[in-house]
Amino acid sequence: MISRGSLPRWLTSEHPLPWLFPVTSLLVVFGLYPVLYSLWLSFYKRNPATRKEKFLPSWNWNKLISDDRVWDAVEITLTYVVIALVLQLVLGMLIALLLDTDRKGFGVMRALMTLPLVVPPAVTGMMFLLMYDSSFGVISNSLYALNLLSPSAPILGTSSTALWGVIVADVWQWTPFMVLIMLAGLRALPREPFEAASIDGASGIQSFFYLTLPMMSKIIALAILIRGIDLFRIFDYVKVMTDSGPGTATETLTAYAGTVYFKTANFPYASTVALATLIVVLVVSSVFIKVFKIKF
Amino acid sequence: MSFKRFKKQNFIIDSANKFTAGKMTKRDFLKKMGMAGVGFSAYSAGMLGGPGRPFFGNVAHADGHSTTPPEVADFLREAGKPYAGTTIRYTSEATPPTNVLNELKSEFTELTGINVEIEIVPLEQVLAKATQDVQGQLGTYDIYYLDQAWTSTFSPDTIDPVEYYEANPDLAMPGFDFDDFSKPLVEGICEYDGKWIGLPFDIPIFTLMYRKDILEKHGIEIPRTYEDFTKAVEMITAAEKENNIYGTGLQAKSGHYSLECDWTQAVWGHGGSIFGADKNFSGNDEQGIAGLEWYQNLLKNAPAASVTSTWDGQWQMGSAGQIALCQSWAEFFPGWNADDSKVKGLWEMAKPLEGSASLRSRDDVGFGEIPGWGHQGGSSIALSRYSKNEEAAWLFLQWACSKDIMTRCTLIGGFAPMRNSSFTDPRIVERKGLEGSGTTRHLDTVKWTIDNVMASEPDLPIWAGVANNEIPTELGKLLTGQEYDGSAKKCMDQIAKLVDAVVDEADLG
Repeated sequence: MISRGSLPRWLTSEHPLPWLFPVTSLLVVFGLYPVLYSLWLSFYKRNPATRKEKFLPSWNWNKLISDDRVWDAVEITLTYVVIALVLQLVLGMLIALLLDTDRKGFGVMRALMTLPLVVPPAVTGMMFLLMYDSSFGVISNSLYALNLLSPSAPILGTSSTALWGVIVADVWQWTPFMVLIMLAGLRALPREPFEAASIDGASGIQSFFYLTLPMMSKIIALAILIRGIDLFRIFDYVKVMTDSGPGTATETLTAYAGTVYFKTANFPYASTVALATLIVVLVVSSVFIKVFKIKF
Repeated sequence: MSFKRFKKQNFIIDSANKFTAGKMTKRDFLKKMGMAGVGFSAYSAGMLGGPGRPFFGNVAHADGHSTTPPEVADFLREAGKPYAGTTIRYTSEATPPTNVLNELKSEFTELTGINVEIEIVPLEQVLAKATQDVQGQLGTYDIYYLDQAWTSTFSPDTIDPVEYYEANPDLAMPGFDFDDFSKPLVEGICEYDGKWIGLPFDIPIFTLMYRKDILEKHGIEIPRTYEDFTKAVEMITAAEKENNIYGTGLQAKSGHYSLECDWTQAVWGHGGSIFGADKNFSGNDEQGIAGLEWYQNLLKNAPAASVTSTWDGQWQMGSAGQIALCQSWAEFFPGWNADDSKVKGLWEMAKPLEGSASLRSRDDVGFGEIPGWGHQGGSSIALSRYSKNEEAAWLFLQWACSKDIMTRCTLIGGFAPMRNSSFTDPRIVERKGLEGSGTTRHLDTVKWTIDNVMASEPDLPIWAGVANNEIPTELGKLLTGQEYDGSAKKCMDQIAKLVDAVVDEADLG
């Protein structure tokens, strides 16, 4: 056995700093440094022709405010986040309620539910791209057969339906995540209040609205927070399925930052758009945490 | 080349051909690529997911065997000795020539000992990677693949190959012959401000292609003008729509460079231009509007998937027998006529449509734009100024653009060569009589188009961004009904505002 005295002093210290060093280093390198570097970049005006950058701190931020595409992207991002979140939350809760039982076989079903989560989002995007194809796609052709859509208006090529097309892929992939969180919450609820309510003659629906939902509120709020932040930075599905189109009908903030970065190589302005996304996320999530009194 | 490797290459090319023709599932394709030992990364982005140009087909690979002249082989063996073991890197879109070169590069390694890594990614990623490399002067890539729209953008970052050849006689390939490169291609693809920024590498160019069986069935003459084309397209759509055949197909994906290419062809064809002599955007003048309105009308006579298609989707429309006429990239032609094509031997090629008699001269337009009737989308490969393996990369560049390799690339891929000598090479001439796989009967028309009516986009350092972002995005809004209420004028006025602002910001006016 190695004695305490034979180890270096820093390794045996009870001071927290040595133990925090590895994770702090990772956070600084991969979290703080990129944000600070982006902030620094955002203070420069880049001339795309000469590639020269000039220190003009307000240039990109003024441009951001007067850029119509940014405001369109904010609107699309918020629409996307709200619709996807509501659908995932409602479906997640419903499925979790169905799976919240000890009956035989449901354990396997709970495990199967997680399968979409292991598919990379880009692959999910490709999968739905094929299923939406107007010639051979199973989803498109089913909707044509039901007269719900016309072959002359492809789902991802029509501005009124493209965003819905992307949201469906997101909902398919991430609803299981909501199911897992809700299920964990449901299974942890105490049985006594439900038994008492049952004796008092409460219906299942009454129990759900007056017991389950209030007792699950913190978990639901946490799920909304985690998924909401994730949804704000949506990029993969948009890039693979629509590339922000048609026009800018599916251009979210992160997708716009990607367009500025990849297509025009204006790194300072792309950084500014990315930082604006971060600011929106921070503000919205802080308000949410405050309002719902979430404690970590 | 060993028989085993030759068989393996055939296997890979045949599989890729079947996959792009929709005759093989993605799963089977990946399985076969795995069996052949092909890395997934090379094909994944470029062929499966990204908007790259598809591998339009091996049409004559049986004639693609090595014919490297002995003096060239000896030169490469000797000159390559000091650099044996070096690995050079270049990133490219999945263009047909790059795919073929990727297959042939082992011959270069056998001769020189120099390894070559070709990273195949979608076009906008090629641009982003090259931009990052030059911004930081990193030298990550020894060779850049440069679309013609990026020529002026990257002109400060590449080494002039003509100067380099003369300055380094020990590394100069015998018989390389710069004068053999097609002059219009050099001018349109890789020359900027009197300097060669690279070597011409491929030349997709707009020509007219038509299904002779459908035209004969309806008694339609081969269209010569834009008016003829419109009439033919409308007539065919009306008569054949029930059979799921449309007059034409477009590459009108919003926000994609392919849409910008279609648009410029329409504008030039109607006597307009992208910029005026005053260097202001001129797509919103009378001719520009006429061109866009003509294009809007075409969309009504094209498969609905046109608005989500790039060149890849347009090629598939032709390959699937879904369209009867198409003014687009000539390199579609060999694949459409390949033996395993559903429409083998039915596609023919004609000169591009004759545009307005009032085609603008080069003096009437700005930024070196060349109005014409055949939009060219060529590319060059260039030696990076920041390369850490400059000599080894230069040897590869010469080999890749040598007479032998360029001719063999055309024989394998069926696309137009860069060198005049390739057009008259006996192996290419003898295949002009073929109907199916291996045909070169379209190359005379391609050469005529290059030599007489080739059109080139403007050369300005911000063009890559404008052509990939502002123009195709706003066009997409118009064509898909997101904005502008179908008004070409409103859309063009907005594009004019955006483009002029970008030009002003870059102090180019």
